[in-house]
Amino acid sequence: MKGYAVKLARVALRNLNRQKKRSFLLGGAIAFGMLIITLINGLTGGFIGNASDNFSHLLAGHIFVEGREKSPSGRVVAVIRDDRALLAVLAEAKLPAEHLLRRASFTGTLIFEGESLSLRVDGVDWRKESYLRERLVLRRGSWEALADPRAIVLSEEIARKLGAEVGDGLLVSLRTASGQQNAGELRLGAVYYDPGLFSTVAAYASLPTVSELLGLAPGEYMTLGILLKDIRGMERQAARFRAALTRAGVPLFPRRTLDLMGLGLFAGVGAELDWQGSRYQVSTLNDYLGQLNQIVNILNVIGLVVLLVLFLIIMVGITNTYRMIMYERTREIGTMRALGMQRAGVRRLFLLEALFLCLGGALVGLAAGGLLMLALTGADWGLDSPMFVFLRNGHLSFRIPPWQLAANVVLVCALSLLAALIPARRAALLEPVEALGRHY
Amino acid sequence: MQLLTAGIVLLALAATVPGLAADAADYRAVLADIDRMSSFTDSDYSCLLTVVSEKPGEQPNIQQAQMFRRDGDQKAVILILKPAVQKGQGYLQVGESLWFYDPESRKFAHTALKENFQDTDAKHSDFRPPALERDYRVAAAAEGELGRFRVYVLDLEAANEEVSYARLRLWVRQDNHLLLKAENYGLSGRLLRTSYYPSYLQLGDKFVAAKMLFVDELRPGEKTQITLANASLAPIPDTVFTKAYLERVNR
Repeated sequence: MKGYAVKLARVALRNLNRQKKRSFLLGGAIAFGMLIITLINGLTGGFIGNASDNFSHLLAGHIFVEGREKSPSGRVVAVIRDDRALLAVLAEAKLPAEHLLRRASFTGTLIFEGESLSLRVDGVDWRKESYLRERLVLRRGSWEALADPRAIVLSEEIARKLGAEVGDGLLVSLRTASGQQNAGELRLGAVYYDPGLFSTVAAYASLPTVSELLGLAPGEYMTLGILLKDIRGMERQAARFRAALTRAGVPLFPRRTLDLMGLGLFAGVGAELDWQGSRYQVSTLNDYLGQLNQIVNILNVIGLVVLLVLFLIIMVGITNTYRMIMYERTREIGTMRALGMQRAGVRRLFLLEALFLCLGGALVGLAAGGLLMLALTGADWGLDSPMFVFLRNGHLSFRIPPWQLAANVVLVCALSLLAALIPARRAALLEPVEALGRHY
Repeated sequence: MQLLTAGIVLLALAATVPGLAADAADYRAVLADIDRMSSFTDSDYSCLLTVVSEKPGEQPNIQQAQMFRRDGDQKAVILILKPAVQKGQGYLQVGESLWFYDPESRKFAHTALKENFQDTDAKHSDFRPPALERDYRVAAAAEGELGRFRVYVLDLEAANEEVSYARLRLWVRQDNHLLLKAENYGLSGRLLRTSYYPSYLQLGDKFVAAKMLFVDELRPGEKTQITLANASLAPIPDTVFTKAYLERVNR
């Protein structure tokens, strides 16, 4: 039985080899389809992976803890006044945290020489947030200027709109954490390249200065970002952390999806609930990237639809080709049948040919896709590319899980076999005498 | 002997500091007077507001609004009458809650008393009865002159975080305790806004500023002037202080 199968396989391969041009064209079409779907899958996988990495550095963490405090009058203030309980639970849960990053932020109005505009200012600890410094490409000014606690880093576009240059003094008008009017003076320390994607995240200043403007006491802040050693365990670690906080009696808000583009973060969180004192919201990067994941899923679906359309065309080609092959080989089939080959054998021979053709095409497609991805990865788009959020240090990168590659190959082979099935069955149904007597 | 000397020195120092602790109660009474004179707790109050907002390089923005107040119940309604594009927009205040009604979307949105009124330099809290005695404590006081009036100059610090400004400096007439001028400071100590109250309207034993001028000290050239007209203490129907009223007037 095994020898028979090997023999069938040899005949199938020989048949493919006999019609080199035809096999090359059909296999080429399959390879092209495979190449396209591999590229789309790899690109979207790379996009989401790189965006996750980049955002984790821009937003300072993979897991975020935000504090909310409700006053007896019902006013909700965004603040973490004392993080000892959080840090104790963090240590107890043994989360593989690489860095703990504290941030505070406000949305206020920057004023310079009669020009003003509203923007969000994030207070960061420049010494600890070296990753952020790597992500921001400075056009003017220097990181050394940020030693000045009043220094602010603006995007190019914001600085242009204000007409401010490095060293200029800017006024900022804002509301404190408790909602009072406040104003302060900042100095433009540096201007960074604006990727143009998140215009609301436009400015960074030192954490103590932002906290002071917000009316927070020294050591108080708004968000604790936990940067994990490996992003892959993010959801699992966040779930562990939530469970540990709950066990320790730290009150939490229910989880909710956040608005990435608006970066409204937790605006309004907690106002509608009946609670008192302090509460915390634990979220992950995925909560911010929910919309991005949706975009990637849509791209993947589009890729799959393109693949299916492409393969519908290829299937029609395969069906027609094998119908022609059946006519061409009618006498050969008759001979094989006369020599004792069963109907199932003929059918299997046709299907094996289609399978080998498909596997060959798929492998070539994968190889071509790999080479193309390698070439595209080598191209430097620059750190100031408008696509920088989706790039890894200015380079495209592709990520495609092995199961997806295998699934694509299985899908392509199944479709090819389906296309070859009808001609294979018709060939199998040929009577030996009739087949031997036919001439085309 | 040393203790006695120290006590004398301390007393001498205290005497030189403007706004003595002993006078604090008097100055609180001044604040209480300001609050009392502008609060209509025994009657309803309504008036027509004309709000002129100026920004450099822009045409002045003129708005007209009808205001209804029932201070005893902490209720107020402001209905925008002009310009035509904003006609029908309105604010309803009940206690510490403030809603904004947009007739286009036919929806109410929650807003805060600390927010600015429309796109002007006036705050919603400028239209409510003041609560200076409750919300601020007197940090320092002095006597001086403002124009032809003898005034108390009172430096106030916020006693709670519910107020719009962390610090105030008030110029209050000594003879009748009418507020003439106020400087509004942020938590950082920076001057944010200067408010002028050049004329008052008397309604019974109450006084309301007939004209208010708010000057933005952060954006030079930006100011808002508010003029009152048709002030009345006539009773206002209960139905006015409801969301349904704002919806109904737009039908």
